[in-house]
Amino acid sequence: MRIKEDRTSVWFQILAHVIVIAGCILCILPFVLILSASFSSNASIIQGGYSLWPKDFSLEGYKVIFQVPDEVLRAYGVTTLVTVVGTTLGLLLMTMAGYVLQRKDFKYRNVFSFFIYFTTLFGGGLVPYYMLINNYLKFTDSYYALIWPSLMTPFLIILMRSFISSAVPDEVIESSKIDGAGDFLIYWRIVMPLAIPGLATIGLFLALHYWNDWFSSALFINSTAKYQLQFYLYNIINTSSFLSSIGAGAGIILSDGVPTETMKMSMAVVVTGPILFLYPFVQRYFVKGLTIGAVKG
Amino acid sequence: MVSRVKKTAGVALSLALTASVFTACSSNNNGNNAGASSEPAKSSAPASSSASSSASASASASASPAGLDTSKKVHLQFYMLGNAPKDLPKVEAEINKMAEADLNATVTFNFTTWTDWDQKYKLLLSTGQDVDLIFTADWTQYQQYAKKGAFLPLDDLLPKAAPKLNEFVPKDMWDAVKINGKIYTMPATYQEYVTNGFVWREDLRKKYDLPTPVDIPTFEAYMEGIKKNEPSIQPVAFGSDVKGSLNDTFLDVYRKKVGALAYGMFASYDKPAEITSYWGSPEQLEDLKRFKSWQDKGYFSKNELNEKTTNQDKLVNGTAAAMMGDNPTRYNQTNSNMKTLHPDWELGYTPFAVTTGYATPVHPIHNGFAIPASSKNAERALAFYEKMVTDKRYNQLTEYGFEGVNYTVDNGYYKMLGDANTNGFPREAMQGWAWRNPEFMLFEPSYDGVKKIFDELDKVQKPDIYTGFAEDYTEYQAERSALEQVEKQYLYPLLAGQVKDVDAGVKTFMDKAKKAGLDKIQEAYKKQWLAYLSEAGIQ
Amino acid sequence: MSRKNGFIQELVKNRILFLMLLPVLVYFFINNYLPMIGIYYAFVRFDFNTSLFKLDFVGLQNFDFLWKSGKLLELTYNTIGYNAIFIILGNVLSITVAILVSEVKSKWFKKITQSVLFLPYFVSFVILSVIVFNIFNYEHGVLNTVLKSLGADPVDVYSKPKLWILLIVVFYLWKSFGYSMVIYLASITGIGEDYYEAAKIDGANTFQRAWHITLPMLKNTFVILLLFSLGSIMKGQFDLFYQMVGNNGLLYSTTDILDTYVYRSLKVTFDMGMATAAGVYQSLFGFTLIIVVNGIIRKINKEYALF
Repeated sequence: MRIKEDRTSVWFQILAHVIVIAGCILCILPFVLILSASFSSNASIIQGGYSLWPKDFSLEGYKVIFQVPDEVLRAYGVTTLVTVVGTTLGLLLMTMAGYVLQRKDFKYRNVFSFFIYFTTLFGGGLVPYYMLINNYLKFTDSYYALIWPSLMTPFLIILMRSFISSAVPDEVIESSKIDGAGDFLIYWRIVMPLAIPGLATIGLFLALHYWNDWFSSALFINSTAKYQLQFYLYNIINTSSFLSSIGAGAGIILSDGVPTETMKMSMAVVVTGPILFLYPFVQRYFVKGLTIGAVKG
Repeated sequence: MVSRVKKTAGVALSLALTASVFTACSSNNNGNNAGASSEPAKSSAPASSSASSSASASASASASPAGLDTSKKVHLQFYMLGNAPKDLPKVEAEINKMAEADLNATVTFNFTTWTDWDQKYKLLLSTGQDVDLIFTADWTQYQQYAKKGAFLPLDDLLPKAAPKLNEFVPKDMWDAVKINGKIYTMPATYQEYVTNGFVWREDLRKKYDLPTPVDIPTFEAYMEGIKKNEPSIQPVAFGSDVKGSLNDTFLDVYRKKVGALAYGMFASYDKPAEITSYWGSPEQLEDLKRFKSWQDKGYFSKNELNEKTTNQDKLVNGTAAAMMGDNPTRYNQTNSNMKTLHPDWELGYTPFAVTTGYATPVHPIHNGFAIPASSKNAERALAFYEKMVTDKRYNQLTEYGFEGVNYTVDNGYYKMLGDANTNGFPREAMQGWAWRNPEFMLFEPSYDGVKKIFDELDKVQKPDIYTGFAEDYTEYQAERSALEQVEKQYLYPLLAGQVKDVDAGVKTFMDKAKKAGLDKIQEAYKKQWLAYLSEAGIQ
Repeated sequence: MSRKNGFIQELVKNRILFLMLLPVLVYFFINNYLPMIGIYYAFVRFDFNTSLFKLDFVGLQNFDFLWKSGKLLELTYNTIGYNAIFIILGNVLSITVAILVSEVKSKWFKKITQSVLFLPYFVSFVILSVIVFNIFNYEHGVLNTVLKSLGADPVDVYSKPKLWILLIVVFYLWKSFGYSMVIYLASITGIGEDYYEAAKIDGANTFQRAWHITLPMLKNTFVILLLFSLGSIMKGQFDLFYQMVGNNGLLYSTTDILDTYVYRSLKVTFDMGMATAAGVYQSLFGFTLIIVVNGIIRKINKEYALF
């Protein structure tokens, strides 16, 4: 019997390795193409397309970006600030909500869950939202306009609710209550440590959301000093697609020229590079047994 | 208004919150109605109050006889499309110093960037934002916005707030920008041409002794020659917008179309009143078959509809050998870009005027600045814009940056310091097309080629009779939107030569278009066009 | 009256819990419920100088453009079809891979692969579309260059609408499965080790453990993902479709969804009434579906239901 188990698990291990490695290759290929393109000359991309290794090694894309680095560096600062503040605040509020909504003794938890969920079904559209941010909340051209729109999403709250309810057995909360702990104290001292994998996941998603956001900059920000990092990438892409769609009749010539393919790819690398390291960092909280250890400790 | 919002927020915090929870839950079958009708007064309040305040501002302006009153300090919001130059803060500071002294006003220069600019433009104008001056052009749909009341009529304000500008812009230009008899924008006075012309590789043409493209047959002969001699180069590049770059350009040179008449309507420049449907006509069939033959012969890519690289880029890098149409200025830029990469290559250019016998300079609507209806500082905005155009200090600073830092004047020519990447303010970096003043303009030496073309075109110039037309599509906008889709789905593949049976393809397209309401649109459009022609006195 | 009493009692009893929830409720009230007033735009004719509630009421006129093209059924069908495939395949794939990754013994392998599988999430569809065009381009795409060098006939991928159903699904899965995989991984992490220990003692092999322990424990997470994707079944993935297909009308019969249709139709018409109308149609559809599905889930197991 012992042998049999070993054999299936060996097969399982082989199968798992093969499938996962194949998946990894598929996932990494486009990255190699982008990276290689960012180190190619623009002419070689237009003439020969993308390749796994630069045909004509060149740093022209990066040169354009880093010749005058202050814009990109400042955008790094803005995005980092917004991501850190937004994620911290959002995570705090969402875990509290998730905790409350999974408490079985909280009578209206389904009503409130629905109240939150309902917003994913109906929305007023862009125009009223634009007016809310600009005309009523008066967030125009401020960091609030970058933090506020992504602060929380119904999906992450409900997900948090589920993570907490599966990580924290009801009995734990019950017994703490009997011990005389207040609701907030239970949340802070007991639930939070138990829900670390959930916290890591939600935090990761929220941080990615902030890091990848460019739409808030496009809509609500007027001064270049407050542009998010991603917005630089999108603006480069949009500038060239605008120029190719506008036609000769508009007679538009831009003084700083048309962004090149190399520039787009270099910018893509510059913008996504740092955040790629967030996942490996968060990963260490996805370790089995972490929850159990915490309960015992 | 602020206190009102605060109060609402307070109410929301304490009471309305719980109430609305129940509304949302108990009426979840028609939850949208519950949300929509709960507090009507709130959203209507700011819109109406800003509208009335702007109305009273203009009323008090016309009542005051003593000209411009600058006793109160104001801050203006100036909106331009595109990206802001790096040195904008310095320029803005300098402008503000001058404007504060001259007009007791300061200004913020805002730029929409090219990311979702059309969306942002629409939002700025339709939600009552603080905007005092905003760029207008035919391609930003000035005519439609003006017609729908997005801008302030300037007729009465101009003589008082900007008398110099009022004099500076010729009367016929003021007349040309009128929509429903009112001036809504301040047009640029610099006369240029954005009309099309053939662009091709002159070095290759010489090398293989091909004819110079001057019309469609010679252009076809050139493409054929390239295909034969340089099989790896695509003879002509159109890009994914085949309607603009192929069909419209073709109609422009081959059938002398009067302008970008929409919905497949056609009228020639010589007989604008004879407006007919090009779609479904024998002419269209003939043209589509011609495009198909170009495709079959491999003059352009099978996947032109998905092309991602710009035509100019393909030309510069030697993967394409011609464009059917581009304007003189952009041709010149493409040519000099190419020369820096490949000094021995050369681009040739023939304006369509050579074939058609006339060229239309840009219509005054093409570049201008308007004052949104919601602006609270209309007079000061006008006065400031007058400075931008007519005061050399303002004008050159906002067009070229600081002399000695960003550029120098060398032998009467503009010379940029550094390159476009390191220079914080390249030439016309604020996209200052609209406030160009011919008297203060500085050009790069390479621009002489363009001027030469313009001089030639001047000799055969005729007025643009199309752009002044302001279509009102309110009554058929549902059909219009549906048609847009039909066009993309059934006409674009035909244009790109991707439909094997052209006759059947046209039939399908026309069937679908008719179902979407083509007849209704064309009829209404025709009526409006004829009315416009008779009103403008065009035969 | 009695219900109100009950509410106040609850409010007093659980006041700390209410307070903890309050910021979130206020946020959604301001950020999401207030702008819903704008749904009214769907029923009026927009005008620059008139405030919302003084605009002309036009009934359902703004919805006209949806069926004027005769495509509403096809669009609805396409949209739902794609989303259904996305939901099914996406979940199957990410659950499978999540289990595989979690069961792999080698620690460093586990760590590296997890990160790598998440990578595609960072590639925007705009950039992906450029790469895809480079591969499938008829004249000098990578695919045809290879085919030609092998002596085969080149393929014009961009004129084969049916093929694009497959391609779109593949691109979607490629980009997004990493995201849901991470969610499932986190859920697997939350499963107590003691369950597995017990199973091992009972002699269950790896497959059996995955099937009998891991899968059932993921049900809760699955239901959440399902409900959220069902609610937006008429929306979504605009970038994927728009960037990949672009102006190529040849492919619209199989790749046009409501979002791309609305975008294309309204780009030329600046009418917010029509845009809102399209949104209302999508929302009503998702809403109805959700009420039904949630009802079914409630019947099966009350704990899994969302509300």
